Amino acid sequence: MALPLFLQTIEETGFSTWLRESESPFAFYFILLFHTVGLALLVGANTVVDLRLLGVARGIPLAPLKRLFGIMWIGFGMNTVTGVLLVIAYPTKSLTNIDFYIKLTIIGFAVWVMQRLKSQVFEDSSLSEEAMTARGLALAKWSLFLWFGAITAGRLMAYTYKYLIFP
Amino acid sequence: MNFANLHLLLNHFPIIGTLVGLGLFLISLVGKNEDLRRASLIIFAAMALLAIPTFFSGPGAEGAIKKLPGVSEALIERHHGAAMLALLFMEITGALSLVGLWKSQGTSRPAGWNWSLSAVLLFSIVTVGLMARVGTTGGDIRHPEIGTGHEEVIEGSTVSKLVRRFEPSPGKFAELMTATKWWWAFMMDLHFVGLALLIGTVGILDLRMLGFAKQIPIGPLHRLVPWAMAGFGINLVTGVLAFTGMGDYYTYDWAFWLKMLAILLLGLNVAAFYLTGAFESVEGLGPGDDAPPLAKFIAASSLVLWFMVITLGRYIQSFSDTISVHK
Repeated sequence: MALPLFLQTIEETGFSTWLRESESPFAFYFILLFHTVGLALLVGANTVVDLRLLGVARGIPLAPLKRLFGIMWIGFGMNTVTGVLLVIAYPTKSLTNIDFYIKLTIIGFAVWVMQRLKSQVFEDSSLSEEAMTARGLALAKWSLFLWFGAITAGRLMAYTYKYLIFP
Repeated sequence: MNFANLHLLLNHFPIIGTLVGLGLFLISLVGKNEDLRRASLIIFAAMALLAIPTFFSGPGAEGAIKKLPGVSEALIERHHGAAMLALLFMEITGALSLVGLWKSQGTSRPAGWNWSLSAVLLFSIVTVGLMARVGTTGGDIRHPEIGTGHEEVIEGSTVSKLVRRFEPSPGKFAELMTATKWWWAFMMDLHFVGLALLIGTVGILDLRMLGFAKQIPIGPLHRLVPWAMAGFGINLVTGVLAFTGMGDYYTYDWAFWLKMLAILLLGLNVAAFYLTGAFESVEGLGPGDDAPPLAKFIAASSLVLWFMVITLGRYIQSFSDTISVHK
């Protein structure tokens, strides 16, 4: 199957080439670093909420954890930006790898669950903690499962790609 | 300073430090002294942390001397295998010590004897024995006056013959770790899961101490620390396994060693948090309360150091082959 030429077009741009080949510490690895930081913020904060809903550290009042969604969105924003840059650096490597699409799908679901958690559990401030927990229990489990899947899919990208650059 | 220096400097900690810890632990048992017991658990945990860069400096030390006349590859391999076994027990002892410390903290629970302390006693005794073996087999490499005088491996006693059976073969272990890319991918996957768990929990606690989301009381947030330790534990295991698979790759990499330094500094940070009274000063803080400056400083340095750990970890690949000393 012939690969779409736009992949090569992106790869041959100055920016893409610089990201990939530059010796500067601010190139590829810098982007990758902030992608990892974004992951830590997004998945880390979501994990704290999920664990609490599952009954860990019950002394933590649920309602104030609503503030953590702000951190999650910062992490998500960081990863969207850095993610786009990573794809620009290695368009063929990522866009011809089905694992990448699996990752994006899982992330889509995980973010949807994240939004449901916020709206179903935290939006109504009149809810008791028991009610909040009841609403959030299943979502919390799915959230942990999906983020684990997203991390795995992301990590596997380094081991499942078919082309490093346009052949 | 080269790797041989580093290895010979660091090895004193897991070998002698653990013995000192055990001595104090036993004295604390006899004297029923809880402060001393807590101190010995702290020593075990600290030695477990220091055992890691000690172990990691091994391949570099090997590189420094293996081409010298009279140095036996077989003796080095034996020492390496002994170190792997001792490291396993050292880390288990350290983990159990942290459990023991966790259980002993807090004024509500009386600090009596519990299963974790029995386990610490057992594992620390085994560790001290195995560390003695590591020290002796290490000495045999370059001190013919204490060893058998032969270059091939001879086990002197029944005990050492028995222990030898449990010591892994470093070469075979390395091959196992790098046999398939899927195993490597799995280990790296767990490494990222561990980091999300660790940074999420510790990060939120640090941010709260710095004043973010003040509606959350600090004491209950602190209950997440065991989960942070679980995350750290996952990363310690996967990290050590990765190193055993590709020792030279990590050894000659500046980013890797700076990452280890950052982790040691985080160990100091944790010690400071609990031993300076900073923890006590924030434990009872409720919604809206501000943490005192020392706690804020410790929280801020924790965040900075974890950011450095992530950064340096990511840059390992970029900095490969940056240390070029006696290769």
